[in-house]
Amino acid sequence: MIKIFGKRLISALAVLLVVSLITFFVLKWIPGDPAQLILGTEASQESLEALRESMGLNLPWTTQYWNWLVNLFHGDWGSSYIYGESVRTLILQRLPVTFSVTIFSMVIAVPLSALIGILAALFKDSPFDVLSRSLMQLGTAIPSFWLGMIFMIVFAAQLKWFPVTGYTPPSEGFFAFLHSIALPSIILAIGEMGVLIRLFRSSMLSALQQDFMQSAQVKGLPRAMAIVKYALRSAIIAPITVIGNQTAKLFGGTVIIETIFALPGIGRLLLTSVEQRDIELLQGIVLFITFMVVFINLITDLLVAAANPLIRMETGGKES
Amino acid sequence: MKKLISIGLSTLLLAGLAACSSSTPSESETAAPSAAAEKNELVMALAVDPDGLDPQRTTAASTFQITNNIYEPLLTVTDQGELTGALADSWEVSEDGLTLTFTLRENAQFSNGNPCDAEAVIASFQRLKAEDSPRAADYANIVSMEAADERTVVFTTETLDVAALSSFAYPWAAIVDVTVADTLTNQPVGTGPYTLNQWIPQQSLSLTRNETYPGTVNIDNIEFRMMPDAASQISAFQNGELDIISVSGDQVAAFENNPDYNVIQAPANSLQLMAMNLDNEALADVRVRQAINYAVDKDALIETVWWGYGQKIGSHYPTVLKEYVDHSEDYTYDPDRARELLNEAGYSDGLTLQMYLPQNYTAYVNAGQVIADQLEQVGIHCEITIVEWATWLSDVYTNRQYDLTVVGHTGRLDPYVLLARYDSQSGENYFNYSNPEVDQLLSDYQSEQDEAVRTQIVQQIQAILAEEVPALYIQDPISLYVTQSDVEGFTTYPIDIYEMKNVRFVQ
Amino acid sequence: MKKKKITVILGAILISIILLLCVVSFFWLPFDPDRMDTANRFALPSMTHLLGTDQFGRDVLSRIMIASRSALLVGLCSVSVGALIGLVVGAIAAMSGPRLQSLIMRVIDGFMAFPGILLAMMLVAVLGKGQINAVIAIGIFMIPSFSRLVYSMILENKTRLHIKAARSYGCGPVRIVVSHIFPDMLPRLITQFSSSIGGAILTESSLSFLGLGIQPPSASWGMMLSEARQYVLSYPFIAIAPGVVLLVAVLGFNLLGDGLNDRLVQRGGRA
Repeated sequence: MIKIFGKRLISALAVLLVVSLITFFVLKWIPGDPAQLILGTEASQESLEALRESMGLNLPWTTQYWNWLVNLFHGDWGSSYIYGESVRTLILQRLPVTFSVTIFSMVIAVPLSALIGILAALFKDSPFDVLSRSLMQLGTAIPSFWLGMIFMIVFAAQLKWFPVTGYTPPSEGFFAFLHSIALPSIILAIGEMGVLIRLFRSSMLSALQQDFMQSAQVKGLPRAMAIVKYALRSAIIAPITVIGNQTAKLFGGTVIIETIFALPGIGRLLLTSVEQRDIELLQGIVLFITFMVVFINLITDLLVAAANPLIRMETGGKES
Repeated sequence: MKKLISIGLSTLLLAGLAACSSSTPSESETAAPSAAAEKNELVMALAVDPDGLDPQRTTAASTFQITNNIYEPLLTVTDQGELTGALADSWEVSEDGLTLTFTLRENAQFSNGNPCDAEAVIASFQRLKAEDSPRAADYANIVSMEAADERTVVFTTETLDVAALSSFAYPWAAIVDVTVADTLTNQPVGTGPYTLNQWIPQQSLSLTRNETYPGTVNIDNIEFRMMPDAASQISAFQNGELDIISVSGDQVAAFENNPDYNVIQAPANSLQLMAMNLDNEALADVRVRQAINYAVDKDALIETVWWGYGQKIGSHYPTVLKEYVDHSEDYTYDPDRARELLNEAGYSDGLTLQMYLPQNYTAYVNAGQVIADQLEQVGIHCEITIVEWATWLSDVYTNRQYDLTVVGHTGRLDPYVLLARYDSQSGENYFNYSNPEVDQLLSDYQSEQDEAVRTQIVQQIQAILAEEVPALYIQDPISLYVTQSDVEGFTTYPIDIYEMKNVRFVQ
Repeated sequence: MKKKKITVILGAILISIILLLCVVSFFWLPFDPDRMDTANRFALPSMTHLLGTDQFGRDVLSRIMIASRSALLVGLCSVSVGALIGLVVGAIAAMSGPRLQSLIMRVIDGFMAFPGILLAMMLVAVLGKGQINAVIAIGIFMIPSFSRLVYSMILENKTRLHIKAARSYGCGPVRIVVSHIFPDMLPRLITQFSSSIGGAILTESSLSFLGLGIQPPSASWGMMLSEARQYVLSYPFIAIAPGVVLLVAVLGFNLLGDGLNDRLVQRGGRA
């Protein structure tokens, strides 16, 4: 068990190293001269060259990569050209925003999807099932940026139930904080529910066909009891892996919703770094998101293993 | 080896996470607003973050708007564009115009307590003139700086520059404390009315009153909130969360004639134009450039893109400066005349040009599309490429790889600096415009002492540019701000700065 | 059983609407989609402009019709690119030795765990913006799901009797995949292809919405929405039409994919 887990850990670290290498290499090919960007339109050739030299842009890229890694190792993630701040500070400042939106939307999506999915499976082919399947289809197909705009017009601008945009930190009141991230979280949750309802529904359906249901019935246990005692448990445990994967994906995919609702999260920082060619910042964010993705998936595996020791680690990562 | 590093990497990231969870709450605790009964905090929305807070190492207007409240130059401008003292109490220009003497105000201090004496001013200017300063060239004419006594600084220029005085009033000529030069970007230290309280990029930047500043400061705390989205700015403003916002023409109607709000509009002292690259064979022909000027309906353009809030221009000169001559009707909208000129120039079969537009500036992107549509009507086809600002700077501006581009130039106080980019040798001449007459006039201007003759020279250059049109000159935009009705004293200046110390609340 | 048929039919109907818009756009458009009419902007829907006009007075319906071409083009091309490369990668992984196999699958798993829009943004940052680069970026992130599918299907089939027989007759791995396994995989590939197109169209419009995809003055649904966003509080209606069309297109391909999946693939197989 520990051995398998150690193996997972090492492979996770390998993924991180490979991603860091790829991002570093790939980002070297981004057009645009960082030195020119810093100095603007009126700099002389000499000062450009001096800055390139001092930023280490003239070194071979292997050396630059090595230096970057060594610095990372020492806690220096580089610094952003545009903000003059260290990349680490910038990312950590934004982490709470992205983190709360991600978690809050999962908190909305998971129980709701579980409820709808399981009920839909129990009453297969009923009108409720049809409704849930339509909801599922809509959830996956609806563009989040469009839904965001529509919700903004209706719920924020017209009905004034929510603030239009912006983020209130929890320090200014927990309710105000929840209020400020509610609309974006709901929109993310709707997208997630498309995936999760399907998951819970099929997981419950297969649980209902399992041997233990039949043997319970043979034993004379009422169907409702059997469902509560056996099927429900297995229907809820099985999707944990996918929920973990989805959380990880969501964490890195909040850029659109952050852009629409002007939330100062990691996604917007990423977009700015792409637009402004802030390479060190971009590298830092990509590596950080990769780390979070790998980390969340690792935790998920651990949870699954804890919840059901019978699930073999190797099959843990498969979808559908 | 590899394994070792990757493990180190992950522990580091883990450590970072741990550090985050412990440090973030404490940070936000200090930021917690005091819900004070009396109003001593003003909140203003900005669309973008400043490009750092070191005024000597950037060219971004977003920086100067804020740093102008933290640092002071020796001089500054009134809202009418006249020079007035800032850090300097008084100043003197010698007979020959080569020596400028400034007297600093008494006991001037940086916000960290360091004295701001003549030596500190000189050190600050040395940093402004240093190689890695983007403005170094503008101040190369200053050949010596001397501290006559603790409060007196004497600048000597190499050649006569009649407008030298105004170069001491720009926000990038602000006096910074060079002893902390390396950290000015995020820990600014100046002598101005405010100091930085906290800056969380993309979220907010707050200033608090500088205790060592002797002048009047009406409001103790200023918060700039970064809100890139106009819609959210407006709704937050209407909810009373913001005191001042900047609006675009389509939104201003919602606030006019409403006693709850004040609308402030003033010419921005800047220029918006579509530059043409004269290296292009077709655009080298003055007839083609004139055809483009005839083909574009500027009134419709200004109405569509800026909702009519702009003053049409016909040459490279903002309407607010006193030397301005109106050339806006030199080429009235006349597509038939445009087609004729194109025929004469040999482009009767049409012409294809590459148009580059800077993505971050929605108005320029929109303007470019409207112009392209109008040019299409006379047989000029524009292939539009939208580029990021970084790419625009390097490819279009520096390397001059373009045919057409729409962009703006921010306001200057001195006509020479404004027009110098048309000198055939200028590094900023991205038009590749070359006219010996203009070169001569520009060099004459610099050594001319007679004010009337100088004005004449400037007007002559305006006329030449209006005739030869190396650009389609569009407009001097009008800045629009809306404030809550209890805000007073917020005005615009001919250079792009905010002066928050003058703003106050009234009952 | 009937319900599954409905899914396919509904999907087909929605896709036909989009296809119709696209095909008609080659022969007839209500207005020139690029022609501005600045005196007549933000016009509400009327008999002249069925869906109104945008911020430059351009006809919204015409722009939606023109944009359907690029949406379908980007959707089809990027999924084809992704499917082709994914097929090859998956097949190589399945037919190669355990070392290479686990290496390839590890990389693919890594890609699958990565948020799609992040990957696309990074690729666009490197490649630059525009339609072709959007195709490449979306194509690349389609690769992992296809290779995973191909990989697992080949592994499933490898042990089947007729494959074993073919192998014992001396067929090479390429021949086995092409002539024996591929026909079996076709239904599932078609299913995956259809639902991937929906995802690709959605990603293209997200990129364009962020200003990283198709560039003005060309029209794209995502870009129309991003332009509409500037004026959404003053003129909310201009945000409606492009969003509905986008939803119809994505929903159509997803429904078709799901319906086909139920009909072609799952003859009593897994849920």
